Amino acid sequence: MLVKLMRLTEHPILNFQEKRGRKITIYFEGQPIEAYEGETIVMALHAAGIRVLGYSVHKHRPRGLFCAIGKCASCLMTVNGIPNVRTCITLVEDGMKIERQKDKPKLPPTVKPPKFKEAKKVSGDIVIIGGGPAGLMAAINAADAGAKVILLDENPMLGGQLVKQTHKFFGKREQFAGVRGVKIAEILEEEVRKRENIEIFLETSAIMLLQDGDEKLVVGVRKNKELIEFRGKAVIVATGAMEKMIPFEGNDLPGVYGAGAIQTLMNTYGVKPGDRVLIVGAGNVGLILAYQLIQAGVDVKAIVEAMPKIGGYFVHAAKIRRLGVPILTRHTILRAEGKEKVERAVVAQIDEKWRSIPGTEKVFDVDVIALAVGLRPSIELLHQVGCQIKYVPELGGHVVIRDSRMETTIKGIFVAGDSAGIEEATTAMLEGKIAGIAAALEIGTASSEWFKEIEKAQKELDEFRAGPFGRKVLEGIKKVVVE
Amino acid sequence: MRSEIVIIGGGIIGVTLAHELAKRGEQVTVLEKKYIGSGSTFRCGTGIRQQFTDEANIKVMKRSVELWKKYSEEFGFPFKQTGYLFLLYDDEEVREFKRNIKLQNKFGVPTRLITPEEAKEIVPILDISEVVAASWNPTDGKADPFFATTAFAREAEKLGAKIFEYTEAKDIIVENGEIRGVKTNKGIIKTEIVINAANAWAKLINAMAKIPIKIPIEPYKHQGVITQPLKGGEINPMIISLKYNDAYLTQTEHGGIIGGVGVEYGPTYDLTPTYEFLREVSKAFTKIIPVLGELLILRTWAGFYAKTPDSNPAIGRIEEINEFYIAAGFSGHGFMMAPAVAEMLADLITRGKTELPIEWYDPYRFERGELRETALQMG
Repeated sequence: MLVKLMRLTEHPILNFQEKRGRKITIYFEGQPIEAYEGETIVMALHAAGIRVLGYSVHKHRPRGLFCAIGKCASCLMTVNGIPNVRTCITLVEDGMKIERQKDKPKLPPTVKPPKFKEAKKVSGDIVIIGGGPAGLMAAINAADAGAKVILLDENPMLGGQLVKQTHKFFGKREQFAGVRGVKIAEILEEEVRKRENIEIFLETSAIMLLQDGDEKLVVGVRKNKELIEFRGKAVIVATGAMEKMIPFEGNDLPGVYGAGAIQTLMNTYGVKPGDRVLIVGAGNVGLILAYQLIQAGVDVKAIVEAMPKIGGYFVHAAKIRRLGVPILTRHTILRAEGKEKVERAVVAQIDEKWRSIPGTEKVFDVDVIALAVGLRPSIELLHQVGCQIKYVPELGGHVVIRDSRMETTIKGIFVAGDSAGIEEATTAMLEGKIAGIAAALEIGTASSEWFKEIEKAQKELDEFRAGPFGRKVLEGIKKVVVE
Repeated sequence: MRSEIVIIGGGIIGVTLAHELAKRGEQVTVLEKKYIGSGSTFRCGTGIRQQFTDEANIKVMKRSVELWKKYSEEFGFPFKQTGYLFLLYDDEEVREFKRNIKLQNKFGVPTRLITPEEAKEIVPILDISEVVAASWNPTDGKADPFFATTAFAREAEKLGAKIFEYTEAKDIIVENGEIRGVKTNKGIIKTEIVINAANAWAKLINAMAKIPIKIPIEPYKHQGVITQPLKGGEINPMIISLKYNDAYLTQTEHGGIIGGVGVEYGPTYDLTPTYEFLREVSKAFTKIIPVLGELLILRTWAGFYAKTPDSNPAIGRIEEINEFYIAAGFSGHGFMMAPAVAEMLADLITRGKTELPIEWYDPYRFERGELRETALQMG
């Protein structure tokens, strides 16, 4: 019965009935659970009401989902005897056995000695790491500029975070204004797939980025098993971002989820994240999330925002308020309460010195606390290969030094999208376009005509950032862009 | 500022020596250009072994193990005698190790030859299908380089030693063959005694003192790997396989499988990790223990083996410069040897002699062309 409750069957925008694959059975600690091909392990578990995915090693505190895109360690479980599998990006297979880890894991008892073969080798002109809005646009433009492109992503689908954006985009017509994020992902994927000079590798993690003679080498691992060496003359890193966590008592309880994880649950896989939600953070992500939750039939109790003003667009905030969701500015979360998962959230008003004011505590009976408190760029590969890094709070944390064509301090290594600094999907697409063309120009497959396209995209970026919301980003960009 | 003795280099050699000298009432200062342990010690493979192939190294390592045990108990850092297990794959290797075992037994190290089945009892996940025997010494062990180095530094400071981090020796002031002081980026320290404990950077320090003899010590890049943590007890001893690329691996206190293979680059001061190492270490480890193929690697990193032509360190006094000592060129064995090296060099400085076979490490041997038997080295 529970199973049916957590699966979304009706949604004003999305149709999950159509999308779901073949029904299969997986086993959670011996107990059979219904799952659908094409969904990740953690989604199937959540749909069955299983939120506690494991226990912390030392204090044995319950652990649940947090990022849902393979960037944190919150969902590690033992799958078919193999420990520490990221269940948020691993697809279900019929008969799969999934166990929670209550301690540091043990190795499976025996395995046949492996047979060694040389790693698979894939060569192209440009290797693009990350198939989100930036990576997809980079691939399309680099391919059109004559380059043979290799595109990899560690998730089972292309689109990055677009696949869970049900809202319509702003901006200009050519920037997909008025189109929903999910639709943009479909359009870009179609564009990528119809180009013969783009080769796509999904469920493939880039684990190392190196200079290898005259070429760049990206070491990839597909489906946790197959080693692949990707070589190209240039690399574009479009690895996105990961959700920030804030400190409060009980912030590790299952049910405290990153905003993106909640979108993945309900918008990508059609799984209800819970019944009653408190959102922390009233930026655009928090506001849009509130609306999406309501669309999915979830009760949003309130949004708390530590700043004196709402951070997101006024139109979004007005819509949320009309739907009866209180937005409490100058409030923060004090603690999450509950035994094995979130049962209550306690919030309070804060004074000018960010201290909570005694007597202002409010208790919300919620089973989910959504953290929409910002993102930080995923720069791991760029850092590892030796790109120059700088801490720029306006861009979300540590970012790489780059030029106006998105090239880093290492020749032939480019960056685009959130991994270059936290912004949004529209700017990520424009940066992807610039990086894709710039890389093609550098390796010599593009004619100089393409410079005009770069200038055009740069102009569009400038226009998009000209509004009041772009001010902070522009401050940040000043600190990282060199000529 | 003045100090009776200045040690250049705040790795395990520098801090154990500072502790030993301070304990004997000497006024000692350690100069470290970054933070203690940052050079090679914190990058080491943690192993401590007495299974060497020559008398001197066996004796020194036997004393070192005694001191590791004593100080780990006194200072409270992790040191475990979980043994070293050399996997042997053919008759020739067995013959060689039988000779080594005989020598080790002669000096009181209880190594013995065991069967592949006995080896599997010690490490049940071992693949013994190609193994014909193993050389096993249960009194070898491993220590945590982070805890150990900081503990020795802390205890040295308690005894009055000064440890200056981010203080780089820039020059050594020598007048008429007598040391007068050390110039650093933070000023001059007046002293009459300098000890070169800079290991991979030792040649730079020797050049500062203008020592008139040749001590060839060159930095070679070696790499280490650690996997995600597992429940303890999967691999207690240090496992060695000379057949599979001089591999060594064990499980740390934290639970990760740590180790390396003999992929070497140099001489170089570059520390960029390489894909070749990652691939070779994966190959070797899964040959030795196939189930490790199911584990994810968390990190690889690089550090230096400060190598001499015979893989034995240079330890002793340089007569031409009064008073200049060297304890460097450990060729990958600095961590395990440190407590005994500290003792023998402190003996030499404070008493003019030592019971330990310091002559084996004579820094003049290169100049004289009297190289030693190459010390058994892995990784």
